[in-house]
Amino acid sequence: MSIAASVLDAVRAESELHGGARVTRAGLRIGELSGVAVESLQFCLEVLVADTEMSSIAFEIEFAPWTRRCRACATEFRVTDARPECSACGSGDTETAGGDQMELSFLELEEP
Amino acid sequence: MRVPLQRKVLNENDRIAGTLRERFHRNGTFCLNLISSPGSGKTALLERTLAGFDAGRRVAVLTGDIQTDNDARRLARYGFPVRQISTGGACHLDASMVDRHLMDWPVDELEILFVENVGNLVCPTSYDLGEEARAVLLSVTEGEDKPLKYPATFHHADLMVLNKIDLLPYVPFSMELARENARRVQPEIEILELSCTTGAGLEEWNDWIRRHL
Repeated sequence: MSIAASVLDAVRAESELHGGARVTRAGLRIGELSGVAVESLQFCLEVLVADTEMSSIAFEIEFAPWTRRCRACATEFRVTDARPECSACGSGDTETAGGDQMELSFLELEEP
Repeated sequence: MRVPLQRKVLNENDRIAGTLRERFHRNGTFCLNLISSPGSGKTALLERTLAGFDAGRRVAVLTGDIQTDNDARRLARYGFPVRQISTGGACHLDASMVDRHLMDWPVDELEILFVENVGNLVCPTSYDLGEEARAVLLSVTEGEDKPLKYPATFHHADLMVLNKIDLLPYVPFSMELARENARRVQPEIEILELSCTTGAGLEEWNDWIRRHL
């Protein structure tokens, strides 16, 4: 719930940076490693905006999968079943490359 | 009109955490964020740790709970400064709570600041508190698959403490599998085994802390 509240703060702050334009749609990118469940976030956002001036905003949440990059062959691969081994060459020498995101990725604003 | 952005949702938290981290670094304070499910032994581990410290050590504890100051009262018996953060409903600590509760404290003189998070394996993960290291506790009365069920938490940890090992004869818990699962999620994680009841493993835990000072 507090993450949903932070999302709304971020939406407000960005819309103010754009002259206070009315927001119609907001995009979020939520990584698999962010510790946030997409469905819960969607639910909390709906609860928080109900009966407010933000109630007409459509939230579009994009899930960013956990990826690792192989230090041996540079392949970037999606992590399945938490296995760190490279999907291309099998090396265990890999590092997390993506999946940590918790960000506001776009806003759609009403034309003035 | 569509405006592409890359704004971190928790950027305000991250900003405060960054300020705290800089302050800890400048003063040589080792700040450790302790995370686990409720009942895994965070408070017990801190009790054993404080009990073993000389009275002159410059150590303090912030302990977070949704309600009550029971943990702070338990920990205050050891003579070191302890403050309770009652989150009043929130299931995790955030950087501004830490910042607020450090007010009027001789923070800049501390060598160690322990921050005991609210018992929860999910939400504390997302909130940087400005810590230098993060330890996650897993007790042997829980499942070995916790690292796979909560990968974000274990992935962001520097250390996993397998606690309550004195209970191993009574529970079907495979230490090997727990280690393997944690390493799958975070190949670089360090792992310690200990029992706050018997004191086994506390020496290694103290060594681990010492290496960070």
